[in-house]
Amino acid sequence: MVRVKNRYLVVNFLYPGSTPTAPSKPGIPNLVQFHAPTPDAFHTGHLLRIIRDGVQELFGDYGAGMVHNALKVNYWSPATSTAIIRCPRENYEMVWAALTFVRKLPKPLDVPVVIKVVRVSGTIRKAEEEVIRRAKLIMRRAKGANVAGGDKILESVVEAVQQRRETEVLAQVDEAGASGDESEDGSE
Amino acid sequence: MLTNPVGYDVIALTHTYTGRLPPDLAASIPNPLPFATPARLRVLRRCNIFLTDSASNFRIPQLQQNYDLVAARPTDEKTLQSACQSLDIDIISIDLTQKFEKHFKFPMLGTAISRGIKIELCYGPAIFGDAAAKRNLINNATQLIRVTRGRGLILSSEAKNALAVRAPSDIINLASVWGLGSERGKDGLTKEARSVVEFARLKRQSFKGIVDVVYGGEKPSPAEEHGKSQKKEKAQPKDQKRKARGSLESTPVIQPGEENISKRQMKRNKKAKLESGLQDDGTVPA
Repeated sequence: MVRVKNRYLVVNFLYPGSTPTAPSKPGIPNLVQFHAPTPDAFHTGHLLRIIRDGVQELFGDYGAGMVHNALKVNYWSPATSTAIIRCPRENYEMVWAALTFVRKLPKPLDVPVVIKVVRVSGTIRKAEEEVIRRAKLIMRRAKGANVAGGDKILESVVEAVQQRRETEVLAQVDEAGASGDESEDGSE
Repeated sequence: MLTNPVGYDVIALTHTYTGRLPPDLAASIPNPLPFATPARLRVLRRCNIFLTDSASNFRIPQLQQNYDLVAARPTDEKTLQSACQSLDIDIISIDLTQKFEKHFKFPMLGTAISRGIKIELCYGPAIFGDAAAKRNLINNATQLIRVTRGRGLILSSEAKNALAVRAPSDIINLASVWGLGSERGKDGLTKEARSVVEFARLKRQSFKGIVDVVYGGEKPSPAEEHGKSQKKEKAQPKDQKRKARGSLESTPVIQPGEENISKRQMKRNKKAKLESGLQDDGTVPA
């Protein structure tokens, strides 16, 4: 049987609310502030609506029609502001572009936001693994920022090594030919 | 700053000059910056100049001394041409939210690219502008990508605040939607951007923009050198001994002074002796 091929976008919401000239809350590390929890009023329905409106705005009826069926929010965690969004494999770039053009959360909240895609995966399992890995990484870094003393040299080395990796910066994208199977190897 | 969570290590702060240049061109971006920046972040200073008419003098060499990057923003066809062909700048930054009557032509932009000037695509106005600005920007961006065939483009934000900055892979995806391949898009964020920064630095610092001493090494101090040579002398006999022992164990030992010279060498020695007038005592030089 032929399966419908999808892509799963792992998405982070960043809240650059504070500027360097006016830091909002002292004592909280910068990193944690960026990865702030999303207000509870925002739910997956809102997220879907943002994406649909964005695709409609950028790609018109054609784009909206192509994306409409397969679009689904598989996972949404307001605490870490992370989501997994399913979209059709052929048109995941449209959804991604629509996410890039998001400026703020919808009307009642109106919070400025930057949405960042961190992983494009062919299977939901890999997407979930990525979410867990990211969450762990952020926790480790936030702890590192909190502790003033400790083994500074070791920490800085670990930090440097982690930041050197391009995969930390660039989202890993599964290409069309290579994956979509359950047996896909995520370490490409 | 947003740039670090999003994933940039180098950012450029832009100061824009409009109209006539002020007499004092000292960089108006303070150095160091008045707020703390992350350790890994490198901040460059860049200036934009508006090219309103091609005749006026922009004192670009002076600007180059004060800023890391000099970008020009042509306002019409003529100034674009002069920027592409003659002006000594680093980046051509066209306001893509406008509507242009004429198409971009490859020969003009091609000369700029071959001179090492990069052309900038700013995505910021598309995110924060109105619908018309977005439409124009996408139109112009696709035009530019088509005309330049994806070469010599850098992607930048032109962000007024942190909210307009997007993550690198988001930009690469956006560019690939606009018709720039994802490899080219990655180049536009990494390779081309780095090359423009380094090129500008070379222009500013090096000899005629060609030769630059990166690290000339250090001259060892005389005392240190003496110590080193002493050490060497000490080490030598030990070394010899080891060698001798090694040769004892493995290969047949050839004592110096024995007949281990080839025939050709013997002939040569003989000839040399004859030439020198037989004044030697007959020892064979090893």
